[in-house]
Amino acid sequence: MVEQTSGRSADSALLVPVGESVTLRNTVAYAVEVALEADLVGVHFVAPVPWHDIDDVDPSVREATQELLDRVATWAGEDDPDDALAVETAIIGDDEYLFSPDDYAVTLAEYADGYGIDRIVIDPEYSPGGNAPILRSMEVELDRRGYTVEEAPVGRRVRRGRLLQRSGRLQFLTLFGVSFLFYQLLGGFALTRFDLTTGAASAAVVSVMLYRISLGDQIRIPVLARRAVRLALFVPYLLYEIIVSNLLVSYVILHPKMPIEPRMTEVRTAVWGGIPVTTLANSITLTPGTLTVRVDGRDFMVHTLIPAAREGLFDGALERGVRFVFYGRSAARSATPRERGDCRIIGEEDEAE
Amino acid sequence: MLVEIAIVAFLAGGVFFTFVSAVGVVRLPDIYARAHTASQTDTLGAGFTLVAVALAIGLETTTIKTFLLLIFIFITNPTAAHAIARAAHEEGIEPWREDR
Repeated sequence: MVEQTSGRSADSALLVPVGESVTLRNTVAYAVEVALEADLVGVHFVAPVPWHDIDDVDPSVREATQELLDRVATWAGEDDPDDALAVETAIIGDDEYLFSPDDYAVTLAEYADGYGIDRIVIDPEYSPGGNAPILRSMEVELDRRGYTVEEAPVGRRVRRGRLLQRSGRLQFLTLFGVSFLFYQLLGGFALTRFDLTTGAASAAVVSVMLYRISLGDQIRIPVLARRAVRLALFVPYLLYEIIVSNLLVSYVILHPKMPIEPRMTEVRTAVWGGIPVTTLANSITLTPGTLTVRVDGRDFMVHTLIPAAREGLFDGALERGVRFVFYGRSAARSATPRERGDCRIIGEEDEAE
Repeated sequence: MLVEIAIVAFLAGGVFFTFVSAVGVVRLPDIYARAHTASQTDTLGAGFTLVAVALAIGLETTTIKTFLLLIFIFITNPTAAHAIARAAHEEGIEPWREDR
């Protein structure tokens, strides 16, 4: 295919068709990595949509797609902290019906030609046709048209593949460093030869066994450092919230009438990924008066004991805090779950509005 | 002297929240509501007590361990509370409501 691509410009961008998939996050990371390595000017994430955007589509479907693209752009920004790449997102194919692999290939090719793009990275778990397996045929079609098509080497839906991450020397060294420092901390930084030797031995055992499991696929020291600083700012705020809600809950418990109004609520939070979601869920549970019962993706089911705690949850103070820690200051200024309409009390559909 | 007053104050705070938590476990109606108050013991009950311990010990290695203890409690407590609540939900236990 190389001879056919020679006409296209060399310093072009990368095209990545995206849709909901379990490996989307890793695909974004891979695409950004490839673009950075090959010195491309940018990455275009496009969502080819199977609907025809005239009258037969529910607006919420379009919103969901736009939301997906926004999320992808946020991830790409995280993976490219120096903003070396221009990240573009677009919904394509909404002016025609996409049905066959060929339709998808034609739409992607049109978009690619519009921007002089010749490299395409595909998420192996991306399923443009819903349950219909058309991904391979689409790749073949694109390949036939002279594009460089590459599947992102991300884990398939295999338990083992998702637990063991792509990892390297940096993961190993980070884990070793953290373990070693922790060991010295417990020893009070006596730094005797005995402590240093046993510490190094223990850290080595820990990191050899766990470096492929305990750390996520990408470690970037500057990102980690910024998060640690922001976490240090978030913790005092969390402590303040814990003290306030402890007092509120203590009041209702000691009150002779015990004025509790327990309600189960559902909140669709604006955080993504294992560690941010865990941090938010644990922060919610740590605050008396709110208790995370279930988490499904970013949909939280939260039990609330008193109205004040419920209001606090819907106003999303903790959510903003967690967004601040993981996505930075600008991300913290987002709409509250109440403003987004992303929260409701289960069993009281009318009052929730 | 000032430090001793602070130690007693923190200890009193710790005892207070642990006491409230015990009362809550007895008074509250169902497993979900009780899980809320159980986390009070772990957060402020243990928190204030450990602060008092740290103050009593002074600046030593053990103080750092007290602080680490607090961090681990703050990570494990919500995880356990979540596991209990989730198990209750999977068993299909409906939350108690005052109006039904």
